[in-house]
Amino acid sequence: MARLSWTGFAHPWSGGTGDAFENLRREVDQLFSRVSHDAPVRGSQGVHPLVNLYESADGFVLTAELPGMKFEEIELAVQGNRLSIRGERKISYPDDGRTNLHRRERPAGQFRRAVELPVAIDSEKVEASYRNGVLLVKLPKSAAHRPRRIEVQAQ
Amino acid sequence: MTNQSTTTHEGSATPELRSREKQAIERETTRGGPVFRADVDIVERADEYLVTADLPGVETGDVQVRLEGGVLSIETTRGFTPEPGWTQVYSEYASGSFYREFRLSDQIDVGRISAKMRDGVLELRLPKAEQHRPRRIEVTS
Repeated sequence: MARLSWTGFAHPWSGGTGDAFENLRREVDQLFSRVSHDAPVRGSQGVHPLVNLYESADGFVLTAELPGMKFEEIELAVQGNRLSIRGERKISYPDDGRTNLHRRERPAGQFRRAVELPVAIDSEKVEASYRNGVLLVKLPKSAAHRPRRIEVQAQ
Repeated sequence: MTNQSTTTHEGSATPELRSREKQAIERETTRGGPVFRADVDIVERADEYLVTADLPGVETGDVQVRLEGGVLSIETTRGFTPEPGWTQVYSEYASGSFYREFRLSDQIDVGRISAKMRDGVLELRLPKAEQHRPRRIEVTS
């Protein structure tokens, strides 16, 4: 099995200061320079879902904060080692003629992100769920990249 | 591997399309961990104020809405928690709890405030007190 150099990182929040977290993030960012961003869709108004990536026993888990979406409106596509997420976060308030918008901080609009993973993904086994406004995508590695146990036979 | 940075914050060409980092706030807690300022929309209608807050990763039962001394506060006790077997390998945001507070005007009928949570979004309805609602006065001859 190929040994992946970035598996040894500690969990960023297992204690430590904000600086330590920043440093760690910078290091991981550099190592994961393959995580790419598609050009923003024209007309997007600030929705850019931030993603976190975890390694699990059989692959990767991606999470993205996308509160107040409809799950069916989040489009996911996997090709090789690339996952793309796209959709639109719509926010509207019915106007009764006397509606007054005092504060608008919640971002709305179209978004599109692509993430390249270090190994190919078994696209048939990708599972996505949406809970409490967090998108969670389980991305199992394709069989060729999974650790395999080799039987050692006595001669 | 290249040294080229592709993080959201440095990678975007146009500043207006940059993502906003979650804003951590200083707050004394007994639980520890980061506390974030929740993004909020406030809409005023004829008979109510509508306060909508993004609280991604928060379970309904972990949201506390309090009203004390004319200050309405939204507080969550915890956010999204990854499973124990997962190792974080790339991070663009931190999970944690959220906090936000507002001073309410005396126009609000505090007894009738209601709160609803759905898909990580909290919706607070703050009805206006009867004497502050717009009304039409009949003109009689």
